[in-house]
This record gives sequence, C-alpha cells and structure tokens, in this order.
Amino acid sequence: MNDSAIVLTLAAAVAAGTPLALAALGELLTERAGVLNLGVEGMMLLGAVTAFLVGDATADPWLGLVTGMLTGGALAAVHAFLSVTMRANQIVAGLALVIFGTGLSTFLGQPVEGRPLTARITTAAVPVLADIPVAGRILFQQDLVVYATWALVLAATFYLTRTRAGLSLRAVGESPATADAMGVRVAATRYAHTIAGGLLAGAGGAYLILARVPSWSQAATTNGVGWIALALVVFSSWRPLRLLAGAYLFGAALRANFALQAAGVRGIPAEVLALLPYLLTIAVMIGLSFSDLRRRAGAPAALGLPYVRDER
Amino acid sequence: MTALRAVHLQRRPRVRPWQLVAVPVASIAAGLAVGAVFLTLTGHDPTMVYPAMLSAAFTTWFGFTDTLASATPLIGTGLAAAVAFRFGLYNIGAEGQLYAGAIAASGVALALGEAVPAPAAVTALLLAGVAGGMLWIAVPAAARAWLGTSEIITTLLLNYVALYWMRYLIFGSTSFWRDPTSTNFPQGKPIPASAELAELGLTRVHLGLGVAVLAAVLVTLVLNRTRLGFHLRVYGDSEAAASYAGINVRRLVLAVLLASGALAGLAGAGEIGGRAHALDPQGLALGLGYAGIIVAALARYNPLAVVLVAVLLGGVRNAGTALQSLPGGRVPIAISTMLEGAILLFTLGGELFIRYRLRFGRGQGAATAEDLESMPVASPAEPTTR
Repeated sequence: MNDSAIVLTLAAAVAAGTPLALAALGELLTERAGVLNLGVEGMMLLGAVTAFLVGDATADPWLGLVTGMLTGGALAAVHAFLSVTMRANQIVAGLALVIFGTGLSTFLGQPVEGRPLTARITTAAVPVLADIPVAGRILFQQDLVVYATWALVLAATFYLTRTRAGLSLRAVGESPATADAMGVRVAATRYAHTIAGGLLAGAGGAYLILARVPSWSQAATTNGVGWIALALVVFSSWRPLRLLAGAYLFGAALRANFALQAAGVRGIPAEVLALLPYLLTIAVMIGLSFSDLRRRAGAPAALGLPYVRDER
Repeated sequence: MTALRAVHLQRRPRVRPWQLVAVPVASIAAGLAVGAVFLTLTGHDPTMVYPAMLSAAFTTWFGFTDTLASATPLIGTGLAAAVAFRFGLYNIGAEGQLYAGAIAASGVALALGEAVPAPAAVTALLLAGVAGGMLWIAVPAAARAWLGTSEIITTLLLNYVALYWMRYLIFGSTSFWRDPTSTNFPQGKPIPASAELAELGLTRVHLGLGVAVLAAVLVTLVLNRTRLGFHLRVYGDSEAAASYAGINVRRLVLAVLLASGALAGLAGAGEIGGRAHALDPQGLALGLGYAGIIVAALARYNPLAVVLVAVLLGGVRNAGTALQSLPGGRVPIAISTMLEGAILLFTLGGELFIRYRLRFGRGQGAATAEDLESMPVASPAEPTTR
C-alpha cells in the first residue's frame, strides 16, 4: 500500500509543490504590501544558480540554500528600489527582473551547465510520524525544507491575521494613504516585504536545484515555475493556507507524467505531457474570472500602484 | 508634507526632448558598466570585450548587415509590445505568438509547394504568420475583454505551450513540418524557394526588414491618423472616459491584443521566410519576444523609435554570438541577455527623471505657471492592478 503508485505520486506532488509554495508565499507577502513583482522566475533562476555554485564549491547544500535566498533577496531589492523609490511601472520592472535574472544566471551558470550536483538536500523522515501508513509516506518522508514550508505558511497566516505588523502590512496594501496617516512607514513596509518575497523566491529556486533537479541547466531548472507561482497567488485569494493546498495541486499537475503512467496510460508524447501544467494554469485563471466575486476576492486594493505622498 | 526632506520630486507637466535621448543613452552606459563588473568578476577584460562587441555589431559592413538581420524580428516583437503596453495591456506572450506565426507560416509555405509563384507564396507566408500570431493570443485576448482575466499570466504561459508544441512537431513526431530525410538529427522540412524572402546581395539582410519597417510606419499612421487611433488614445488615458464617450472598450482591448499578436506572428514568419527557411525550434527560441519588451520600453512605446532601438539591441545580440569565435577566453553568449536586462532596469529607473523633476530643499508640489502653459504629452500607460 505504502509503495502503491498513487501514494508515490502524491508524495512526489508534495515535493514538486514545495518550490512553488515557497516562491508563491514570497509573492503573496510582496503583493499584500501592494507591490506586484512579476520577477519571480528571474529571482528563482538566480537563486538556483548561485545555490548550485556555492553548494558545489563547499559541498554544503544548506550554505547553497542561504546563498540562493540572499541573491533572490538582492534582486528583489532592485525591484523594490525601482517600484517604491523610482515609481517605475511595476509590471515592466518585474519583466526586466526576469530578463536580467535569466541572463545573469545563464552567464554565471555557463561553466557548470549540465554538471550534476553532489551536495544535495536529502530526505529526513520524521520519527514515529513517518511510520503512519499512507499519510506518513506522503507527508513525513520528505526533507527539512518541506517541513519548514509548512512552518512558514502557518507563521505567515498568524502574522497576517494576528499581529500588529501584519495588520499594518495589509493596510499598506489596501490603502497606503490611510496607513501613512496612521503612522505606518509605507516605503519601509514595501521594501521589507518585497525583499522577503525575494528571499523566499530565491529559496524556491535553490530548493529546485538542491533537491529536485539533478544538474544545473538554465533552460530546464525553473521552466516557468515562477510564473505558475504568480498564478497561484491569485488562485489562493492571497491566503497562505489556500496557497499551500494550491501548490500541492499544481505540484501534482507538474508530475502529471507520473500520475498518467501510474494509471496505465501510455503513448502520450513527452512534449504534450510537459505542456499540461501550463494549460491547466491558464484554464484555472480563466475559470476563476467567471465568478465576479472570486475575481476580486482578496486582491490588495493598491496592488501595483506606487504611493506618492505629494500627489495625494 | 515634504518640508523635512532634502530632495523631493515634482511631476513634470511636459517632457523635454533632450531627455528622451539622454536618459536612454545614460541607461545603456550604466547597463554596460554593470556588465563590466560581471565580466571582470568572471575573469574577462571588459576593455577587450566591449570593443570586440562594437566592431562585431556596428563598425564592419558584414557586422552591421548581420545586426540589421538580427534586428528584423526584434522590430516585430518590439512593435507587438509597444502597441499593447502603451495602452496598459501587457501582452508578454510575443515569444509564443512568434512561434505560432512561424509554425503557421512554414506550414502554409510547405502546403503551397513550388507551383505557386513567388509574390503569392511570400504574401501567403506573411499572412499565415499574422494569422498564427493572432490565433495564439485569441483566447487570452477574449478572456481579458469579456471576463477581465489578467492577460499577463495567460499570454506568458502560452509561450511554454507554443515552445513544447514546436518541439513536438520537429523532435517528438514525424509531422508534416519535419524533414523525413533528417534521421540523425531531426530538422524542419525546407520551405519551397518561391516562399523565401529575397536577400540583399551576399548579406543576411532580407525583405523581412522592409516589411517590419513598413509595419512600424503603418502602426504609427493608425495610432495618429485614424478614428481607431483616437479612441485608443482616449482609452489609454482613461478607460472610464472611453466608456462614457460611448467607445466600445471590449472591442478596443480585443483589437489591440490581436494586433499585438499579429505583429509578433509576422516576426515569426519573417524568420522562417528570410533566415531559417524551415521550422527550426533551436534557432527561433532565442527570447526574441522577451527582448521585444525591452525594445518597446527603451523606445518609450513609440513605434518608429522601436525600429532604431531594435537595431541597437540587434547589435548587442549579434555581438554576443560573434564573441563565441573570439580568440582567448570565451565569453558566455548570455552576456547579451544580461546586458539587455541591465539596460532595461536602468531605463525604468531613468524614467523617473523624465517624468519628475528633482527639487532640492524645501518646496511645494505644485507646478509653476510656466510649466502649466505647455500641454502635457502622452506618456506610456501608468501601472494598473491586475
């Protein structure tokens, strides 16, 4: 039972959904502050390549993970500077981040393109819980990053709903002018949460290379996961717990080839299987728009708008 | 409110022409400086690399004509981004629309065969590209127009779908597009000579360049001289104003996005007819669609400026390729993409200096009487929520 195809597929979905959950949780925090950062894919790629380089040089995957987070955060700081201080068009700035991040990671990764990484994050089964039939195999025979993601999601929920700082954050995303009048530092809040989003996107990218993908390849490491993470934030109505559930759902879609093989389906070309998660995401995005209620639910009112005190 | 701050910003009611040139030039210089840092860090000498790039891109005849050839698809994708972004519609699927245009164009050219005379075959190839690009954006465009679905993520994700589809046609199946004689390494079937775009002498410059420039002129005329263009400018300034004026906003959104897809598809057809002469997934997947966004932003969404900026970025790309054959320490080809991204980041930052004036010391936010005398100029769409 524990090794049946369906259980293995679900376990793989949790693992595949984890980088998505990390990156999307970061974007959720950024967007809650009213900043739209479309550069998730770029931050993930840069996080992945720097994690690879450091993990490879030091043979320590955790050092790689920290490096990936820091470079993701650094790229996000550029976005924060452009959108908050320079009042640039956030959509184009995010795209610039993707292009720059893709170029820089390819540039840095060229010497190691295709080289397998030996320093890897390995499975750490939770004592006792891992022995539970089925659920233990799916949830508790994972690695530390998977467990840390749950902790982060719970912490984010608590932060957003039960703390003063979380309340200020939401005020900044909904109505920066009101927050400003309340004495909340709008720019500082936006900087902090944009950078936090970058740290998490960097972690997601680093996790991809340290635990999921065997070797660095610019073209195949993230493969659009950063864009699916953006869709996931909309799907979650900007709520962390829904986001985690969505991440595992999308994780399952990313492992659709596993699932279909498990179901005994043969003969579907690899390319067709590969494009299914993207079509699914598009279908979900359009499907959500059919209900007017859902479309508006949860979106921070000031998302994507620069706040200028002078021009109020 | 800003009394305590040493520097504050004042919105400029009017853009000075010299700034439109100075800011992009400064952005490019700053982008190159960032590139120099990374080159030095990775053991390359920027004082060797940059002059080599310059001569490979602009200062030799074959270098310059190759640059024009590299610029040709960038004009198409740059226009695709410019027409949409200008009105706050963010089609970032030009990449996929270019693939779809290439697939449609090569398919039609192959289906027509040798029998059709050259002018008709070339026209069919180009129109098929336009249709392919429009088809690829049709669903995101309709979803945006009728349901309000953000076009950003839907158009982007379709890029991956188009990429995998194109790979499937050549690598994953024995499709109509695949050359049956290529057994070791799968390749696209060559299109008939009648559908190929004429080349200029011995260079790689082809008729696609003329078509792209013509498209830029056409877009300018439509935007500035027609009723549709007027409605679009009203919509770009204020969607609410357009609605109250009785303009059919849905049709406008649909028209802009379809035109954007058509221009990207046209670029794909140009690549098939003028450069590859077959559907080649490797040669098409160069991020031309994404680079189009940079072209459009640097050109401040002005269709004619797109042509000039495309030549500039075409040079950067062409130089990246040429650096591969440089003796001594190979420079990764990704230097081009990295430079493009850095230049765009600085351009966006520099936009502030075009739109705002820095004032030092105490001051009020109001514009002076002199500023108010001059009419405001159209600025690219302000960011919107999704």
